[in-house]
Amino acid sequence: MLVTTSRGPHSEVTDAVLIRRVMQRDETALATLYDRYARLVYSVAKRVVGESSAAEEVVQDIFYQLWRTAANFDSARGTLAGWLLVSARNRAIDRLRRRHGTNEELPADAVGFSPNLETAAAQNQLMEQVNKFIGELPAAQRTALELAYFEGLTHTEIAQRTGEPLGTIKTRLRSAIESLKKVLRP
Amino acid sequence: MNGHPQFDEEFDLYALGALKGEEKQTLESHLRLCAECAAKLQEANGRMALLALAAPPENVPSGVKDRLLRQVRAETPKAQAAAVPSFLRSLTPALAVAALVLLIVAAELKIENRALLQRQTELQADASRLQQEAEREHSVLDLLTASDTVKVTLVSGAAHPVPEGSAFYHPRKGLLFYASSLPALPPDRTYQLWLVPSAGNPISAGVFRVDSLGNGEVLLPKLPPNITAKAFAVTLEPAGGVPQPTGPKVLIGAVS
Repeated sequence: MLVTTSRGPHSEVTDAVLIRRVMQRDETALATLYDRYARLVYSVAKRVVGESSAAEEVVQDIFYQLWRTAANFDSARGTLAGWLLVSARNRAIDRLRRRHGTNEELPADAVGFSPNLETAAAQNQLMEQVNKFIGELPAAQRTALELAYFEGLTHTEIAQRTGEPLGTIKTRLRSAIESLKKVLRP
Repeated sequence: MNGHPQFDEEFDLYALGALKGEEKQTLESHLRLCAECAAKLQEANGRMALLALAAPPENVPSGVKDRLLRQVRAETPKAQAAAVPSFLRSLTPALAVAALVLLIVAAELKIENRALLQRQTELQADASRLQQEAEREHSVLDLLTASDTVKVTLVSGAAHPVPEGSAFYHPRKGLLFYASSLPALPPDRTYQLWLVPSAGNPISAGVFRVDSLGNGEVLLPKLPPNITAKAFAVTLEPAGGVPQPTGPKVLIGAVS
């Protein structure tokens, strides 16, 4: 199973404290959160949009949004890491869709994401585990999942892209999701 | 426990963005009404967030952090404030006093300006809300007065009391529904309104409850556009509603 990591020995100030300081307009707190999470945000954005410059804009937009709206961040609705990861992916996909002439935005719902990723070691450990999970999926399921997640394609669009029947794509995605649920089950 | 197992496989697909069309709309309509399923979606969002970590790790190019901090500082007037003492020191005492007075006046104006900006923001929010209400009322009037809006009266089979419903429907402008004399319901049940299209399955037009007089309404529910309606019906369903009718028909009316 994927593990929820505890705070490492090198972690200093918690995200919750830093967010409170950002609310008080403390730039150094924002800079610390940036140092902590910018690599994750940039990696997701780059994987989705492909171009460095567009991914850089996504990173800047997301941390600037955090600066402006830190007071709205509700830790009861999920961790900061979860919010940043989902925001990075959604915002990058919104850019892709605008580029392709479709404007439908992904929903911005609460994210029940519990792993503590406040240290680079915790981030690396979880990345390794997620990559192991993805790597062990059958190739067809992995492709369907990656097309949906990183390219923002719907069932129908994946079927068109791969030339596979729609029902097959739905089954593959559902199977991949079931595997993920099993891995996460305690 | 999930009271709506028909959606169990949909939450992760929705979080992925893989659902489209009717599947997506049905789930979104249900999520607006069901806190239990909204919590399931929150869990699914967390699972899908993990997939972001499958992206190959890349270091952020240098310069992004500086640009961010410059952007942040641009809205913080600290730099200007810090420059003031050295500016004052370079003036003669008389000029320094005059400049100091001007600075105090400027600071007061700034505080007042901030309060005015705050007030402006509040007024803009009020204006936006009023505009939304006006637009909604205009939509209702537009629908009611359109010559091609159909009015359907829905009646119960029972003689007394006589529950009744009126649906005003226009394929592009939307749906208004008013019911009267309906029996009160226990907390675990709800009335659900259905648009029965000329082809295909009934489409949920929302759930509603009734007041002490048995009156209820559904105003401008989110529906797929340009659906030709054959009939409207109200069924009795579990709280939160269902994707397809399962309970007894309480009211039904065909489009003439």
